[in-house]
Amino acid sequence: MPHVTYVAADGTRTTLDAAEGASVMETAVRNDVGGIIGECGGAMMCATCHCYVDDAWTARTGPRKDGEMDLLDCAASPVTDASRLSCQIRMTQDLDGLVVHLPEAQV
Amino acid sequence: MTAPLAPIDETITIDQLHLDPYPIYRRLRAEAPVLRVKAVGRTFLTKAADAKYVKDTPALFSSDDPRTPMKPAFQAHTLMRKDGPEHLAERMAMAPALMPKTIETVWAPLYRQFASDYMDRLPTDGIVDLHRDLAGPIAARILAHILGIPEASDEDMQEWSEALIHGAGNFGWRPEPFERSDRANAEMNALLDRAIERVRAEPDASALSVMVNAADPIPLSQIVANIKIAIGGGINEPRDALSTIVYGLLTNPDQLEEVRARGAWGTAFEEGIRWVAPIQASSRRALEDVEIRGCLIPRGDTVMTIQASGNRDEELYEDGETFHVFRPRNNHLSFGSGPHHCAGSHVARRTVGKILLEMLFTRFPAMSLPDPSAVQWRGFGFRGPINLPVRLT
Repeated sequence: MPHVTYVAADGTRTTLDAAEGASVMETAVRNDVGGIIGECGGAMMCATCHCYVDDAWTARTGPRKDGEMDLLDCAASPVTDASRLSCQIRMTQDLDGLVVHLPEAQV
Repeated sequence: MTAPLAPIDETITIDQLHLDPYPIYRRLRAEAPVLRVKAVGRTFLTKAADAKYVKDTPALFSSDDPRTPMKPAFQAHTLMRKDGPEHLAERMAMAPALMPKTIETVWAPLYRQFASDYMDRLPTDGIVDLHRDLAGPIAARILAHILGIPEASDEDMQEWSEALIHGAGNFGWRPEPFERSDRANAEMNALLDRAIERVRAEPDASALSVMVNAADPIPLSQIVANIKIAIGGGINEPRDALSTIVYGLLTNPDQLEEVRARGAWGTAFEEGIRWVAPIQASSRRALEDVEIRGCLIPRGDTVMTIQASGNRDEELYEDGETFHVFRPRNNHLSFGSGPHHCAGSHVARRTVGKILLEMLFTRFPAMSLPDPSAVQWRGFGFRGPINLPVRLT
């Protein structure tokens, strides 16, 4: 199973086994990782699963999905080039080792 | 082999649900979490996981209800009862007015001023009904401005909202509620005609202006319907949330002290709306035969996700029946989930959570609730206190 590491705003790192095909948001919510809410369940409606993809991984996570930028505009914390909605990143073997940084606030 | 239909209940009444549904939900979570309730004509889903599953699976559970009394009440088929791209286009048309950035820069300063003005005019001696005299009017004022109809009075906004809600919930199809909503529609239409001209001439950050002045606007009939759905669904929730949280804090002074010390007004907000969700239940129509917990939900059947119950689900919460601000986790379903996740969630969190609560308790540090038993709670679809007799000083 691919691994994903969440780096909280205070620097705390949590590494999890992700089910292949599960989103980075779902993996966090199922395992009670604080800092990601994912309130709308992945429908791209709430902007509470904002994350910053680590520089080393942006090429592999690929471009934002259609409509994702509209919702990132609704994020509570600053949006950068590395900003993604973690519900739109699906874990695959290719992303094994992925590192995402979490914002200060999601709401 | 086909699963059996959910058991049917013929004892639960709408009156019982209206007065206090929580003991019933607690029993249903344990005994019959999927249950056809005859009095309501719907299949109740009282477990959090089932409510979330239904809302997160729009391909199987449609929001579109061809026989909804919402249509005559709103004189339109609104985005609340649409699915897919059609729903998305109408929703996103309004989104810029409701974004955190717009709220912080445009609305929050205005709302701080309104909140301060409305608190100024509360009488400081004797008993004040905070629900009637603050929560309702301030919710109306906030909404009128963000929607782009500041010329509507608090009284008009509250009457229209109630008229729309009563019409939308008129499952008995009696004439009076529709007569009332027709009157409200006539008044709203007249006001919107003028407001649309105004925002065309002087664009601002309001929902009406953003929709009217969009590069590729949605049809005017849908703009009007969107504003109406926001009036129908944007006053009572923040109003009831505010009253519920104030009640929770005043009846738990130790928690209030800790919230004050930590400045944890946002956490108190989340707990209040978990404890008594302003919108308690939602309907979805099954598009195919689906099985939930071994019960067949036949195609065409309407299920009710009871988020009020899911929010107290023993599988997720220890002692979910009580108000406890600093509980370890709180993934409530009060803003829903899936494509219809509440479009006003950012506004609610920022106004009720971050502005109103803190200002109220700072301005009236000695506020008390002399007789908590005098507070009356009502509602099955929407729920909250209907009065909140406090002493401010």
